Amino acid sequence: MTEKLKGYKKETKTLLNNKNIGIWDILKVKTDKAAYQGILLPRNEYSESGFIELKLKNNYNVGIKLEEIKDIEKIGKKEAKYKIPEKKFPKTKGFPEITLLGTGGTVASRLDYTTGAVIPAFTPGELFSAVPELAEVCNLETIMVFEILSENMKPQYWQELADEVAKQANSAKDGVMIAHGTDTMGFTSAALSFMLKDLNIPVVFVGSQRSSDRPSSDAPMNLINAATVATSNIAEVVIVMMGSSAHDYGLIHRGTLVRKMHTSYRNTFRTIDDIPLGMVKNRKIRMFKDNYNRRNDKKTIALTDFEEKVALIYSHVGLTNEEIDFYIDKGYKGIVFAGTGLGHVSTRIYDALERALEEEIIVLMTSQTLHGFVGMNVYSTGRELLNLGVIPGRNMIPEVAYVKLGWVLGQTSNFKEAKALLTTNIAGEFIDREIPIAYNYNIDQLLKNNKV
Amino acid sequence: MDEFDYKELGLKCGLEIHQQLNSETKLFCRCPNELQGTREPDFILRREMRPVLGEMGTYDKAMLTEYEKDLDIIYECYNDVICTYEIDETPPFMCNIEARKIAIKIGLLLNSNIIKEMHVCRKNYLDGSVPCGFQRTMILAKDGYVELENGKKIGIDILCLEEDAARRTETEKKEKTNFFRLDRLGIPLVEVTTKPDINDPDECRECAERLGLLLWSTNVKKVLGSIRQDINVSIKKGTRIEIKGVQKLDWIPLLINHEISRQYNLIQIKEQLTQKDLNKQESIGEIKDISNQLKETSCKFIAKGIKSGKKLYGLNIRGFNKIFGKELMENYRFGTEVSSKVKSISGLKGLIHSDENLKEYGFSEKDIGIIKNTLNVKKEDCFVLLLGKETEINKALHVIENRVKYAFEGVPPETRKALENGNTEFLRELHGGARLYPDTDSQPIINKDQEIQEITTHLPDYPWKIIKKYSTKFETEERVIKELIFSGYLELFETLLEYYPDNPTLIITSLLETATALRRDGKQIENITDEDYIEIFSLLKSKEIGKEAVEDLMVGKADNPELTIEAIKDNLNLESISKDELNDIINSIIDKNFNLLKEQKMRAMGPLMGDAMKQVRGKIDGAIVSKALKNALLEKIKELN
Repeated sequence: MTEKLKGYKKETKTLLNNKNIGIWDILKVKTDKAAYQGILLPRNEYSESGFIELKLKNNYNVGIKLEEIKDIEKIGKKEAKYKIPEKKFPKTKGFPEITLLGTGGTVASRLDYTTGAVIPAFTPGELFSAVPELAEVCNLETIMVFEILSENMKPQYWQELADEVAKQANSAKDGVMIAHGTDTMGFTSAALSFMLKDLNIPVVFVGSQRSSDRPSSDAPMNLINAATVATSNIAEVVIVMMGSSAHDYGLIHRGTLVRKMHTSYRNTFRTIDDIPLGMVKNRKIRMFKDNYNRRNDKKTIALTDFEEKVALIYSHVGLTNEEIDFYIDKGYKGIVFAGTGLGHVSTRIYDALERALEEEIIVLMTSQTLHGFVGMNVYSTGRELLNLGVIPGRNMIPEVAYVKLGWVLGQTSNFKEAKALLTTNIAGEFIDREIPIAYNYNIDQLLKNNKV
Repeated sequence: MDEFDYKELGLKCGLEIHQQLNSETKLFCRCPNELQGTREPDFILRREMRPVLGEMGTYDKAMLTEYEKDLDIIYECYNDVICTYEIDETPPFMCNIEARKIAIKIGLLLNSNIIKEMHVCRKNYLDGSVPCGFQRTMILAKDGYVELENGKKIGIDILCLEEDAARRTETEKKEKTNFFRLDRLGIPLVEVTTKPDINDPDECRECAERLGLLLWSTNVKKVLGSIRQDINVSIKKGTRIEIKGVQKLDWIPLLINHEISRQYNLIQIKEQLTQKDLNKQESIGEIKDISNQLKETSCKFIAKGIKSGKKLYGLNIRGFNKIFGKELMENYRFGTEVSSKVKSISGLKGLIHSDENLKEYGFSEKDIGIIKNTLNVKKEDCFVLLLGKETEINKALHVIENRVKYAFEGVPPETRKALENGNTEFLRELHGGARLYPDTDSQPIINKDQEIQEITTHLPDYPWKIIKKYSTKFETEERVIKELIFSGYLELFETLLEYYPDNPTLIITSLLETATALRRDGKQIENITDEDYIEIFSLLKSKEIGKEAVEDLMVGKADNPELTIEAIKDNLNLESISKDELNDIINSIIDKNFNLLKEQKMRAMGPLMGDAMKQVRGKIDGAIVSKALKNALLEKIKELN
């Protein structure tokens, strides 16, 4: 009975039940002065109670107040059951073979006009219906690895994803695309960068900031751009998303140097501390950097062990010893600080830090300014933290440092080995030098520059 | 044009009226509700729109037609008056309360039922006029009516509260690019849709006028372009056609009559084709590239086109002789109907058909013979020629084929654009209802009983009642009061009456005639604020200025918006003068013109009055001057005798 009246509560539910009315029934409703005819819609459980929600003949939805209803009559039923028509994705001989791995995001979708819900399009046939241009770039296969909301990502899923990518990389496939929600895309791209040793093909993360049910969506262009990069020579984990608010070009970001920088802009992803690897426009790639791994014949290995007991703590003026003690007491193996400025935390929490380090918990320092290196020799606090045993995270973005520390502690439980691995450049997460245009780069400058 | 028997034809019309509301900020973001006029945009943004899969996994026909046009979209943006919401980079903010309340008031004036829980919906648009690809809209009221003079009630189907679309800037229109300016995007708008209860073109005009008056009696934007009306027209066996962009009320009857004519004749064509027992599927005959055969044509622009690399295609339309040439409405043939659709969708400039006088194009008998032979054109057939790039021609052929086949069905459902001559042209396919779906970015909006109650108690009188009342009270034509409403000055008029009850006609003249005349002279009369008018008429009331000064002060303010009325008055040296001072001035004028007076006697009154007014204009009422001058002259003349 609950599903039959999804979202309806109290008196409303009683009334509908008494009249034997369910969701999708076509109703005639009379109030004091008006008459309505429409389909009874399921109701959001957080909406106010005391209303019934109808989709009228003119396709508008309205809510009618229970108290005003004089008469209600069921005259039929129209349940929405839709499916995207399967067109066959055309296979072209000689085209690169690309696999698209699904994680639950909706890169392509179609609408349920009744509820506004977005129904994902995922099979090659469905994708071909929505973005036929893909067939001009590659032959496509799709695998749904798991179906989650991006905010519910966790290390276990990274492991599954890395294993699947390695499998693809060691098969006859020419490239992998991963459809991923944008919220935690940067975490996952970093995780896969560390986990995939000797990667031999491109691994391209792609998503969208405007859902694909709207005509202005960035999803189709992102998909075409990502597919183009997946067929390229760049054997790295990268994110390919729009580089500007206009529907113009995509930027290719290294998986360990990229961060979501805006809640809603299309060009939310930016390479931090460096310039993007390159750009993709009209199915052509232009590189801005030369230091990327090329396609190769090595066997790709997935090193997926990961220590989940790692904390990421945002340093702030009210931070106390208690908060740090909590993690120590809970048996955490590593702590990453998003420190202030050049890499600082308050001297008031030295006690807890000393205790952590005594218990061989690795403490890694990054900066909440996101841009720039930590510089722990500049002020006395920095020097004192170094002296306590805090490891400077160089230019690493806090989230990348968090992923790296978890991965390092998954690879070794030896304190010294872990420290050594942490300070080694594993997947391009460290830069040697920050070039001046890295901070606030724009496309005009990038196009003017020679490759670096 | 023939007189139609509307009843016999089964004429049904409905109106859709869009009116911008005058809230301070926009509907879903807090940007100012202000158009920027001709101000240059700060930056541009290029975007693409793609059709989205509908619920049956197919594309809406109207959306596909837009996509086929393959137009680039450029948004012209400002840094200060638009935000990331307008450029589709931020989700919507709370629905504007002020706008919602204005809309409720309109809903109540339309005797309709206010929806208690509104659900924001998205209406897809692919022409680029909304950057996110859909307009946010919601039903606010339903099932009302507006009463006409004769007592007939025209039903109001729905009243929607929605966002205005971006403003198309025609000036920079380049090939294949649509330019839109984002200042207008998101301005709150009500859309009033009537039921198809209107059965006569004049009734339609009256209904549109009443709805306009009613809207303008509330807090809506009262400037040119803030109200837009569309008409829906259908006749028996015809189709509902939406005519957009009806700019003047007076166009309405003409547009409807022309549309009746178009539908009537299209139905006749259908019947003709049915009688001839033609096969719809076989109506398109040979389609051939005849560039080679017509290389040497005596038609100059075709020969030149072919030489420049364009292609000339011909197609034979079986059984269509004399149909392309059939007039559907004034100066508009079936051929025009096809070619304007071709132009709109393929970009191809036009087409030539065999019902036209081909000699006028410069074709020789030989040319025509070649065409007919190549395309196998029989006596009962019609051929069509297309000149252009191969891609354009392919699109055009597709359009022609579809349109020709639809001739067997009658009137194709379309949205058409109103033209000044009373005709219409194809604008786009009629959108299906399926492009409307719930907005998942916003929560339902509640119109509280208490809010509605509060607004109900403060409802204004119906404007047509006000018009009657005022025209009697101020002994003026109804037309004048109507004009006050449509120029947005009714409220100001009422306010000014409180400050200066002495002469309502003067207020009306200043607000209507004087303002219009000044505008025509290129004066920026929008610089004169309501407060300025209040000040001007207060000065008049306290006799600090004469009524002649009103125009001078208006000019002064229009030219110098930074000055106060007080300062302008000082500059104009408009201190009023006493009757004694006036008499001194008059006497000195008479003295100076003694000879003139001797010769012309009272006929000197005219020129002397002119001299006097030069000195006292605005300082004292002209009637007083005239009277004083007349008395002085009579006295002087008496003396002379």
